Amino acid sequence: MKKFGSFNIFSLIVGFSFLYIPIILLILFSFNESRLVTVWGGFSTKWYGELLQNQGIKDAAWVTIKVAFVSSTIATILGTIAGLVMTRFGNFKGRTLFSGMIYAPMVMPEVIIGLSTLLMFVALAIDRGIFTVTLAHITFSMCYVAVVVQSRMSSYDDSLTEAALDLGCTPFRTFILITLPIILPAVISGWLLSFTLSLDDLVIASFTSGPGSTTLPMKIYSMVRLGVTPEINAVSTILVGVVTLGVITASLIGRRQKQQILKTQHT
Amino acid sequence: MSENIKFSPWLDSSQKPYIQIQNVTKRFGEFTAIDNLTLDIYKNEFFSLLGPSGCGKTTLLRMLAGFEKITDGKILVDGEDISEIPPHLRPINMMFQSYALFPHMTVEKNIAFGLKQDNLPTNEINQRVEEMLELVELTDFANRKPNQLSGGQSQRVALARSLAKRPKLLLLDEPLGALDKRLREQTQFELMDIQEKLEVTFVIVTHDQEEAMTVSSRIGVMDSGNLVQVATPTEIYEAPINKDVADFIGDVNILKGIYKGQNEVGTQLFSEDSNSIVFATQEVGASVEDEMWFAIRPEKLEISKVAPSHDHNILKGTIEDIAYGGSFSTYHVKLDNGRILKAIRANRERTKEHHLTWDDEVYLQWAPHSAVVLLS
Repeated sequence: MKKFGSFNIFSLIVGFSFLYIPIILLILFSFNESRLVTVWGGFSTKWYGELLQNQGIKDAAWVTIKVAFVSSTIATILGTIAGLVMTRFGNFKGRTLFSGMIYAPMVMPEVIIGLSTLLMFVALAIDRGIFTVTLAHITFSMCYVAVVVQSRMSSYDDSLTEAALDLGCTPFRTFILITLPIILPAVISGWLLSFTLSLDDLVIASFTSGPGSTTLPMKIYSMVRLGVTPEINAVSTILVGVVTLGVITASLIGRRQKQQILKTQHT
Repeated sequence: MSENIKFSPWLDSSQKPYIQIQNVTKRFGEFTAIDNLTLDIYKNEFFSLLGPSGCGKTTLLRMLAGFEKITDGKILVDGEDISEIPPHLRPINMMFQSYALFPHMTVEKNIAFGLKQDNLPTNEINQRVEEMLELVELTDFANRKPNQLSGGQSQRVALARSLAKRPKLLLLDEPLGALDKRLREQTQFELMDIQEKLEVTFVIVTHDQEEAMTVSSRIGVMDSGNLVQVATPTEIYEAPINKDVADFIGDVNILKGIYKGQNEVGTQLFSEDSNSIVFATQEVGASVEDEMWFAIRPEKLEISKVAPSHDHNILKGTIEDIAYGGSFSTYHVKLDNGRILKAIRANRERTKEHHLTWDDEVYLQWAPHSAVVLLS
C-alpha cells in the first residue's frame, strides 16, 4: 500500500468536502426539530412523519417509482438487445454510426432530449402524462444499459454459445439457458443504473410530463420555489438514500462479476 | 496396437466412407480459407488435421460442426448431406479448444446439458452422466463448478460432455493445447482408449505433429486451405510427399541436387553438399538434369569418426554442437560448404564420454533405402 503524503490527504479532504458537505448538511437538517432550516433546534424525526401526511409528495413519489420501474425494465430489455447486437455482429457496415447513435444520449444535453421528445409528442398529439415521461426515460437510459451489457459481452467466450448449440440446444434456448445467466449481473446493474437515473431526472420529466404525472424531483423543485422547508430535506434524504443504495448495489454486482471472470480466466 | 495396424479401411475399396467432404470451398470475403477440398474419413477412424496456424484446419472442423456455412461443395455424414443442417440438429459433437464449460453449472449439469435438450427421461440422463463421470474418472467432482477444476479436469469434463450424447462423430479442436507436456502425453493415451472403447469416429485438429503421430489412424497435412498429404503417421514420416511435409513433420536433412538417372542401386543425384553422386533406392519418374531433393531423417544418418569402407553416400564435416537428450544425442555437423546437418545417435552405453565431441571430424553416411526422393 502506498503511503499518503500530507498534500494528497489535504486534496482528498477538500475534494470530498466539496462533493459531500452539502448533502451531509441536507441530511443533518432533515432531522432538525426547528422549522427554520438553518437553525439547529435539536434532533427529531417529526418531518419524516409530516411527509407521510403530505398527499402531494406521496403522489409524486408513487408516480416516480412507477415511471422508474417501467422505464428501467423496458430500457434494460432494449439496451441488452442493443449491447448484444453490437458485440455479436462484429464489424458490419455502419457499425460505428450505429454504436455512436446508441451512445449519443449519454452526451446529449438533457434539455435537448427533453425538448425534442416534447416536440414529437406534441406533433403526434399524444397527451402528456405518465406514459410520455416513461417513454422519454426509456430512450435516455437505454444507452447506459447497452454500455454495461456490451462491456460484459466483450469478455464473453462465444464458444459457450456454440457449445450449447452443438449439444442440441436451439438458438433461443441457448440465449435463455446460457448467455443470459452469464451476463445477468451486467443486466441487473444496468437495470439499477437506469432505475436511479429515472428516479432523479428533473429536466426531461419537466418537458414530457403533464397534469397528474408530477415526479418527485419536480415536486421538490416546485416546493423549493416557495422556500426550503425541513420536509424537503427529509424527502431529499430519502431520495439520496435510495439512489446511493442503487448505485452501490450496481457497482458491487459489477465487481463480483469482474472477480468471477478473472477467476475463470485463471483456471 | 496390432489391431491398429490392421485397421485400414481406406485401403479396402468395399468400405464406404463415413464422412465425405466433397469439393468444399470456404471463402471469407476475398480470402479463400478452404480451396476445393475433398476428403473421405471412415468409421472409427482417429483422423488428425495437422498444419500451421491459418492453414484452414479449424475452419474445416467448424464446417463439420455447422458453425461455418460452406461456400461451395457439400459434406455427407453416413450418406446424408448435412451441409444445410444447423449445428443444433447435427449428430455431431465438438470439444472446444477453450473447453467452453458453462460456468454457472456444475460438472454434472454440464455433462447432462446435451441429454436434457433431447428430453430424455431423468433416470436415463442420470445413468449416462454417471457413466461419463466414471469414464473420465471424475465421479468425486460431480458437484464442482468449472472454476474449481484444474486444467486437466476441465479438459476431461469437456470430453465427457461432448461424448454424453453418443455422437456419430466427435470433433476435437486442439483438445490438449492448454495442458502441460506430461499431462498431454498421458491424456493422449486416454483419448485413444476412450475412442476405441466407445467406437466413435474422432476428427482432431492440432498443430502439434507429435500429438498427431501418436493418436491418429491417419493424418491430413494441410497448408493454405489445401490437403497436401493424407496418410498414416508412418507414411507421412517415412514417405513425405514434398519438402514442406517432410520439414513440418519431425526433423529432416534435405540435400539438394541434380538428377543423374537410375542405376542398379536406384536414383542417382549429384549433391551440391558432397560434390559427388549420392544414391537412394526409391525410383522416381524424372528427367535427367532435373532439380530434386533427398530427405534424410536425422536418426537415419549414421555418424562416426572412422571413415566407412565404401565410397558412396558419405558426407564429411565437423561437430558444431551437441544436444544431449538423455536417451539420445543430436549432433549438429557442419559440412565443408558451411551447411549444418543433424544426426541423432542413441546413447546405448552408459559412459560419460560418448566418444564424439565438439570439433571432431566425422563422417555421415546413410543407407540408400533411408533417403526419400522428393521432386518438390
